[in-house]
Amino acid sequence: MTSETTGALTPDIEAIRDILRRVVDPELGVNIVDLGLVYRIEPGPDRLLIEMTMTSPACPMGDMIIDDVYNTLAPVLPQDCQLDVRLVWEPPWNPSMMNERVKAHFGW
Amino acid sequence: MAGNGPSGRAIPASASERPAPPVGDLRPAARLPLLVLGMLSLLVGVLAGLARLGWTLPPLAAGAAGWHGALMVSAFFGTVISLERAVAVGRRWAYAGPAAAGLGGLALIAGAPPGVGQALSVLGAATLVMASLQVLRRQVATFTVILAIAALCWLVGNLAWWISGGIFAALPWWLAFLVLTIAGERLELTRFLPTPPRAKSLFLAIVAGLLAGAVVAFWRQGAGLALFSAGLLALAAWLARYDIARRNARQQGLTRFIALCLLSGYGWLAVAGLLGVQGALLPGAALRDAALHALGLGFVFSMVFGHAPIIFPAVTRLKIPYYPAFYLPLAALHLSLALRVAGGLSGAFPWRHAGGLANALALLLFIATMVTSGFRGRR
Repeated sequence: MTSETTGALTPDIEAIRDILRRVVDPELGVNIVDLGLVYRIEPGPDRLLIEMTMTSPACPMGDMIIDDVYNTLAPVLPQDCQLDVRLVWEPPWNPSMMNERVKAHFGW
Repeated sequence: MAGNGPSGRAIPASASERPAPPVGDLRPAARLPLLVLGMLSLLVGVLAGLARLGWTLPPLAAGAAGWHGALMVSAFFGTVISLERAVAVGRRWAYAGPAAAGLGGLALIAGAPPGVGQALSVLGAATLVMASLQVLRRQVATFTVILAIAALCWLVGNLAWWISGGIFAALPWWLAFLVLTIAGERLELTRFLPTPPRAKSLFLAIVAGLLAGAVVAFWRQGAGLALFSAGLLALAAWLARYDIARRNARQQGLTRFIALCLLSGYGWLAVAGLLGVQGALLPGAALRDAALHALGLGFVFSMVFGHAPIIFPAVTRLKIPYYPAFYLPLAALHLSLALRVAGGLSGAFPWRHAGGLANALALLLFIATMVTSGFRGRR
């Protein structure tokens, strides 16, 4: 997390999406937003809800990636804003959820 | 993770500490003893391997010489793979898998009656099968089915080991456990690529061939192991062609390192298959050492070298940042293995002898590299 954004962010969906692009899947070298793993970003007055998935329920990295999401977002949210990151398995991730740039990167 | 389902966790946004682990999961610190148990089997397993090659070692390691294969596959890999799966499903009972497999290794090392270690390995494998079924319940896909089949292979191998009292009947099943676990995880990652349907059918045909070979080997060892080895060769070709590693090798940093680990491992898998087709997996075959270590060290450990920097932190929450020095143990592994395999092919035992020791030193260098990186990551 860079210091210039600390505490200054008003939670708006695009800004949060941009920040989440700093969380990268090391195996693929691509961030979780462009991979289509972030299903829902719902800012509320005192709470930010994020729903995301993993590509594999057999992968032990899920908890660590969620920690990365916390560690990336928590410092830029206002003090009184609760961060709630949920892991969901429905709908299961599929390749159509990747954005066009990443699809092109992988040769689609 | 994942065990917490949609319940989620909420922390004050200002808090810098990590959120609590999901309910029902084991804390990362509590997972460490299981990892240590697995590492103990790795240590004694490697020393036992050196004793087999004729190196003089302390009595504890020399006494375990007969258990080299069991310590490496069932005790070490069995422990770490079931630990990885337990973390993925995030249920406390799933940690009985790595605990049983690790204690099984400890029983072998301590010189308990073999039945104790064998029974514990069966318990460990049965737990991994259950954890893999839990994964299947969450998502039915080809790769989750392959991972469950791989766990079943481990169970069959351990039962064969227990019932027959020897490792020859277990061998193809143990190798299938390792190979299919890796193949299943690689298959999962091919979903990021536009993989043609015929490639998926081909993958299933190769897995069917491998399994058929392992089954046939119960009755006709030569034919079964040859079919199994042909499957290894075909799988190496499939992975080299369709795995995402080829694309990721053009990236940088850790992503590129992982890809190069995998691609070099596929080369060794092909070597193991080629040798195996010619009978190298049969008991007493001159090239058995070369074939088994091309697979176990060249293929499986290359994959371990690539993934330890992401899986170890996932299990323990201790970060291992990437450094270019990661390539040193990888190069050492490949060069020392080349020496050992060349020694097998040419009949020059001194090369095998020295290569085996260099293999062990490459593993030590790898662990030292990971530990150093872990400490640098904390600063």
